[in-house]
Amino acid sequence: MAEKDKDFTCKLSEYIEKLPETDITRRTLLKSGALLGGSAILMSQIEGAFKLLRTAEASGGMTAGDYPLAKAESVIYSVCLQCHTACPIKVKILNGVAVKIDGNPYSENMTPNLDYSTPLTKAAKIDAKVCPKGQAGIQSLYDPYRIVKALKRNGPRGSNKWKTISFDKAIDEIVNGGKLFASIGENRHVPGLKEIYVMRDPKLSADMAKDAKAVADGKMKVAGYKSKYTSHLDLLIDPDHPDLGPKNNQLLSMWGRIEHGRIELGKRFMYGGFGSQNLIEHTTICEQSHHIAYKEATNQYEDGKWSGGITHMKPDSYNAEFIIYFGTGFVEANFGPPAMCEKVTDGLASGRLKVAVVDPRMSKSASRAWKWLPIKPSTDAALALAMVRWMVENKRYDAKYLANANKAAAKSGGETTWSNSTHLVKIEKDGPGALLRESDTGLGDKDSFIVIKNGTPTVVKADDDKSAVTGDLDYSGEIKGIKVKTAFTILKEEAFSKSLAEWSEITGIPVKDIEEVTREFTSHGKKAGVEFYRGPVQHTNGYYNAQAIIALNILIGNTDHKGGMSVGGGHWHEYASGKNKGQFNHEKTQPNKLTAFGHKITREGSHYEKSTLFNGYPAKRPWLPFTSNVYQEALPSAADAYPYTIKALWLHMGSPGLAAPAGHTALQILADVNKVPLFFATDIVLGESSMYADYVFPDTAIWERFGNPHSSPDVPLAASKFRQPTITPLTEVVTVYGEKMHCSYEAVVLAIAEKLGLAGFGKDAFGPRWDFTRQEDWYLKNAANFAVGDKEGDSVPEASFDEIKTFTEARKHLKPTVFSMERLEKAVGPDKWKRTITVLNRGGRWANWKNEVTDGKGMLLKTYGKQLNLYAENVAKAKHSLTGKRFSGIAIYEPPKDAAGNVALDMDMPLQLITYKDILGGQSRTLPNNYWMSAILPENYLLINAGTAAKLGFKDGDKARLISLTNTDGKWRLPNHGTKDMVGKVKAVEGMRPDVVAVSWSFGHWGYGASDSFIDGKTIKGDKRRTTGLCPNAAMRVDPVLKNVCMTDPIGGSSSFYDTRVKLVKA
Amino acid sequence: MALNEIVRMHEDLENALKKPESERSWIMVIDTRKCVGDHACAVSCMAENVCPPKTAYRKVFETEFNSFPELDRFFMPTNCQHCDNPPCKKAADKSTKGAIEKRKDGIVVFNYAKLAKSPKAKEAAKKACPYYAIVDDKAGFYTDGTPVLEPYETRDFYEYDKKLNRKRGDTKGSIRKCTFCLHRLESGMLPACVGTCIGRAMYFGDKNDPESLVSELLKKEKTWNLKAGLGTQPRVYYIGYEDRTKISVATPASCIACHQ
Repeated sequence: MAEKDKDFTCKLSEYIEKLPETDITRRTLLKSGALLGGSAILMSQIEGAFKLLRTAEASGGMTAGDYPLAKAESVIYSVCLQCHTACPIKVKILNGVAVKIDGNPYSENMTPNLDYSTPLTKAAKIDAKVCPKGQAGIQSLYDPYRIVKALKRNGPRGSNKWKTISFDKAIDEIVNGGKLFASIGENRHVPGLKEIYVMRDPKLSADMAKDAKAVADGKMKVAGYKSKYTSHLDLLIDPDHPDLGPKNNQLLSMWGRIEHGRIELGKRFMYGGFGSQNLIEHTTICEQSHHIAYKEATNQYEDGKWSGGITHMKPDSYNAEFIIYFGTGFVEANFGPPAMCEKVTDGLASGRLKVAVVDPRMSKSASRAWKWLPIKPSTDAALALAMVRWMVENKRYDAKYLANANKAAAKSGGETTWSNSTHLVKIEKDGPGALLRESDTGLGDKDSFIVIKNGTPTVVKADDDKSAVTGDLDYSGEIKGIKVKTAFTILKEEAFSKSLAEWSEITGIPVKDIEEVTREFTSHGKKAGVEFYRGPVQHTNGYYNAQAIIALNILIGNTDHKGGMSVGGGHWHEYASGKNKGQFNHEKTQPNKLTAFGHKITREGSHYEKSTLFNGYPAKRPWLPFTSNVYQEALPSAADAYPYTIKALWLHMGSPGLAAPAGHTALQILADVNKVPLFFATDIVLGESSMYADYVFPDTAIWERFGNPHSSPDVPLAASKFRQPTITPLTEVVTVYGEKMHCSYEAVVLAIAEKLGLAGFGKDAFGPRWDFTRQEDWYLKNAANFAVGDKEGDSVPEASFDEIKTFTEARKHLKPTVFSMERLEKAVGPDKWKRTITVLNRGGRWANWKNEVTDGKGMLLKTYGKQLNLYAENVAKAKHSLTGKRFSGIAIYEPPKDAAGNVALDMDMPLQLITYKDILGGQSRTLPNNYWMSAILPENYLLINAGTAAKLGFKDGDKARLISLTNTDGKWRLPNHGTKDMVGKVKAVEGMRPDVVAVSWSFGHWGYGASDSFIDGKTIKGDKRRTTGLCPNAAMRVDPVLKNVCMTDPIGGSSSFYDTRVKLVKA
Repeated sequence: MALNEIVRMHEDLENALKKPESERSWIMVIDTRKCVGDHACAVSCMAENVCPPKTAYRKVFETEFNSFPELDRFFMPTNCQHCDNPPCKKAADKSTKGAIEKRKDGIVVFNYAKLAKSPKAKEAAKKACPYYAIVDDKAGFYTDGTPVLEPYETRDFYEYDKKLNRKRGDTKGSIRKCTFCLHRLESGMLPACVGTCIGRAMYFGDKNDPESLVSELLKKEKTWNLKAGLGTQPRVYYIGYEDRTKISVATPASCIACHQ
């Protein structure tokens, strides 16, 4: 009988693609020591491996049961970072080389996880989950293009011409400045850090900070400030504007990938040490509007202000019966697949769980979905509001839950959370504004709000857990002459502002599908939830899209419920929780620290109206009071000298030139020695942006360093992860504070701190005899705090003799520059050391799995237990800094807009551009540099609907160029580095909306080993395999008003990735 | 929630190792309802076995089915099926006896030294395999042509009962394929593709143990074998489904539609 495989799109020949020729005949003889090829450490590892081979038995035999990687002594547990999920991993080491990575079975990467007390010998044999990126971490660690020595540029910025420089000399030049580039014809004086670090007196900084805030708030006049500090005005950027802060603020530090552990170490350096406000993480090119929406929805009102909101909730997928994934999934991206996926697939296979996926593209998550809703990008609020409309029309919301106006009402109804749905809002001439209060009505006090109960205004104190207050849900009327509506009514009116058919038209989703999904969502009690991530929020309307989605969860009151929305299992605190004196309080112990002050260069967290720069509307550039880490705004603000210029940039593991939408605008600024006079970077390679630096210091790679990232709320058990070095770092050895250590971010922090004498570093930095001269002095205390626990009596057991033996055996390949028992013990003290070893032996601390993650009453074990805000008063009271118009406190639908509030959709372009991450590719590090993975996916594509392809005249595999309104020739312009095409192969699929083109991330490199670099006069050939595909970011819309940045969400701060319309032309 | 599947399979493995090799019968079960096409299995295998560049013992195929918007995407992981009637062995035996052997525990073993010396056996075996399972080891490394030949490529690794090294040429010129991670099994570890599977689609164990998880799955679910009609008697069993709206119902119906 003949066997036949039907010819669908299953293509064997495409599975392992032929990679572009690597030109194998042209061997690279690398004499320069800058890259790994010259690294003495690596050569000895290779030689060591060879020597072992030559002494191996000739038969090449192996005794059964003698597989070395099955032994506990071959394992060091650590934490991945190929993406932000930061999975706990088990790194297996052979002859000092990290050779295999798997998941840590003590952690959330196995469900259920092993009991913490499980012997190390047993855990060594049980491999938990990691995704392919985690597996391929070996290839990021041993990347041939890693830099291992400090470099100084030897040509124009971006020309990729370098010379190696001693670490000490580089630090000296950066700190002291001078005519540092005279040898290449640049005659300018480069400012050193010592010229920027002018405010050095802790008491003076605290006083000037307090009064500068008073000036900004209008409580103190500028003239008064100037006379009070008359002999210190030279410390300020601009004495006429004290709220801009001291000149210290002209050191800008931008962080790409960084996380806890390092974050607080870096903050210690920037704020209390150096005295600069300008520490900007990458969050707005990531998912910030998701976080800000959650924050506003979960802020509590205390002492006259809203604060304490959390940034993230996730469905309890272990118990849920129905989950809607908006613009995200459980297989790719999100936060993150390895821990998440199994809980969902188990539910799908057993029948417990159904999912719906809202995504213009049929993602891998959608491939498991009962319903796939191929939504038009930018319209997520419209879909959510359509769902709200249907729920209200059909009375399928939890009326009892929504009527609860305070904690006591919630408690009496068996809930832990409640909402402000019934709280009354004042309706101003220009729309809903603040919540109704005592000051308006004479009822209650300054901390209480008002609801209507049976027609009567009733005072309610949100956190009152004694007297239950419920309110009427739907109310519109007048109190004391003030027009009021409940928050619910305002949302309802927005939802009803369009018919279902009209919402359907906007979103491209048929009415029938909207109804069916909403019916399903409201058919599972509390065991249903809506989850979202970048898809709905990386838009100019991202914050509102997010609030509309969060409203769905509020309407069924599912927070804290089994199967509903969860805040996660929590964690032990790496910095003192305050409840156990046994924990180190090193984070907060910084004697003589400075008080950094002044508006950040991005003006994030500041109100335009509360600044001395206020000059009516429009402001020169947007002010973003509700958000933080507005990454894309830092460089263009500096370039526009608004609010001020910068003198130095420290770019750490970041690439604004590549990773931000319209990143090419950032490259222009980075290349400009007038806009960025001094530019130094810490990176593991010469990346797309760090190649523009004046100095690059090699950082340690993930598997060579410390850290303690946090888990997402998807993880239902308490989890504290601890990253630790698994091999001797490949970067050069440097000496700081007299200590030999490997070059890294931490070494640069310590070296600058040492040279400038910054507070909080060096001898006695944490107190008498508690030094901070090595990174272990910081990180090990974090591990010790996990070991000791947040509460008295909650410590882990001390490591046994056998466990200590395994600990040292597993680390015997580590050189003294990175590991020493004595040093680690000194960092935590002998009384905590053995317990710390227990934590280090497992790569962190986890709770034991409980089969029931609930309390038996249907609530999750760890609850949020506070108010959820359907209405965010904060946001409603603020004005858009360019239009002067009030924002909305409720979720609304609005189309994409530019910085001046004009609708910005280039409808004469046929397709809308979205990006996505394949599970094989993270934001950086992974594809195409991890060759195992690029064997599976060697390039990315312009993914379009098959029908659309035919209509546009494209066949599968045709090359096409991406063109947009602000990039009409479809190229990256790389200053001093030529151009890079945005050209890729078309891939025609059925799983795509007809009017969308999707390009996966990770490709289109010109740095990271893709181009040739020139070090000490020698050419390091780039690897053509790394040049494949395209990076679409240069097509993303440049804001027409601001001209040197992408479009941005004015409330959440997210950069717009998905609002750009494009066309494809044959290439 | 199926609890402790990984730990359970470890216990099954320990029980199997207590028996002599001839009494074990290794099989693999793949639940495609839970496969999400992430390729962690493929990359884990590449790393574990230091596979030749641009090759993988394990491949995850993918196909679309039907058209926008009511379509499906199927993922189909495969590797050597360790057939009980292996066509590769039959073909190789014609020219080089002993190049390919079948163990009593079910694993099909390639003798790299013999195969490297026998182009006839190699080509015949490759042609005979209906499962795309066999790869060539043409020497060369991923990091050839880059500044550094990296140590994860030139390190010792383990397959079957051998300690090997590609830099030493131990596999050069031979053909290679999935080994069911015999080297790991004998040290009490599941194959490299099993633990890392983020969908938890992978199962492995001893078919001769009626109380093993894999035996339970064979009893409970309607499993299916790839190209069974060829008479190869594969040791990899699949659990399928019809389409994503009925994903909890195990059925080989749609597998059979494509692959009969």
